[in-house]
Amino acid sequence: MRMKRILFILFISLSLTTFATYAQCGEEVKKRALQEMGDAQYIKDFSINLTKSPVEAKTGMVRFNVLLNSRTQYKFNVANGAMNADDIVMQLYDKDELLSSNLVSGKKYKSFEFVCRTTKVYQLVFSFTGGEEGCAEAVLSLVKQFNE
Amino acid sequence: MYRNIVLSLLILASVQLFTSCSGCSDKKGASNDSLTLPDSLITDAPLKLSEEIMNEVIGNLSSPVEMAGLFKSSGAEFTQRILNNPDNVANYVTSFQRALNLGVFSADLGYINTFDKNNIVVSYLLAVKNLADGIRVGQFFDFNQLSRLATNSANLDSLMEISLTSFNKMDSYLREQNRSNVSSLIVTGAWIEGLYLSTEIVRESGSKEIADRIAEQKNVINILEIILSNYSTEANFSDLLVNIQELKEAYAPVRITTELGEPQRIEKDGSLVFIQAEISTVHYTQEDLTRIMEVITKIRSKIVS
Repeated sequence: MRMKRILFILFISLSLTTFATYAQCGEEVKKRALQEMGDAQYIKDFSINLTKSPVEAKTGMVRFNVLLNSRTQYKFNVANGAMNADDIVMQLYDKDELLSSNLVSGKKYKSFEFVCRTTKVYQLVFSFTGGEEGCAEAVLSLVKQFNE
Repeated sequence: MYRNIVLSLLILASVQLFTSCSGCSDKKGASNDSLTLPDSLITDAPLKLSEEIMNEVIGNLSSPVEMAGLFKSSGAEFTQRILNNPDNVANYVTSFQRALNLGVFSADLGYINTFDKNNIVVSYLLAVKNLADGIRVGQFFDFNQLSRLATNSANLDSLMEISLTSFNKMDSYLREQNRSNVSSLIVTGAWIEGLYLSTEIVRESGSKEIADRIAEQKNVINILEIILSNYSTEANFSDLLVNIQELKEAYAPVRITTELGEPQRIEKDGSLVFIQAEISTVHYTQEDLTRIMEVITKIRSKIVS
């Protein structure tokens, strides 16, 4: 009986540590995201690790505040973790208003560019369809600046 | 039978624990460092905003890449005398001064990189490394790798990318360790230095584009005020906050108006481009700009002295 209990605890512990290990994206995915940035100039990167909690209602999305300047074209690109069931959705908001997204007409793109015409803090939101879990690495980069 | 299974599982569990904890050592060191910071950057005073909210607020206030890109496109010449002097690093003896000036030198590095001045970049990298070591975050800057890249101007893009990645890793680490007070100083230093360099370039070249960018920062100063007021129970932060509030007053006459155009989405060669519908225009007088530039110069002088 005691042996069975030990076995059960070990199985649970193993499952949890295995899950925690796979939930991390790591340097390889970040490297891919940086390569996919192309000729744009790196500004900042974002690490996304989303887990699905059975007890917490608010899961499945993460938000980062980003300051974007007017008369500037930015690129947002994202690389998905190998274990992700589906590709991540990346959206740019101005408070509640959705400005741009890599999900258009059911198709998910690896990146989008945004021509900013008002300097302010915007919200970059990442989520998986259906609140699933997974990881990704995203990069914000500078494409060009306009004179007027 | 059971014994064999248990033994196998124990071995597996040990391997799992070992591999999944390979990144834990840094965190352990980190908690030590935050306890051994040599001056008042550790405070027990309750924060007005939680660390979680602070992390959301700070974000990226200033990007050396963007400012430096503007400088170059304005046609301005590179001027080394407007940068902070790496020899000043020895004068920064408190964590407060080191964190602020780490931000200052990060903005200077962006300026130097953009103008491909690899003859002076090493001394600025060394300044960054020394300041980062002084606040126990030097592990994020591989000085040897950065110096190697700096010896060849063909590598300057990589140098910039690696320097910025290092800054971002350091910033994330500071926030994870609940040291966003340090992070907020680095952000403030970088923002002020970016504005100061802009100010000097406007004085020399009269660039309308850069003057507009200075005026548009009105939208940022409120965020900075929120960040710093969170730590205002500490004397150094309180002094800095007074300076930022003076700058906020100088910005008061600046008006930013917005109008709504049509949002556009363009799909070209498999990539998406969105054009924002909201268009802002900044309105200010030469007097307003002069006053803002005076206050920026005063604050920057106080930070680097």
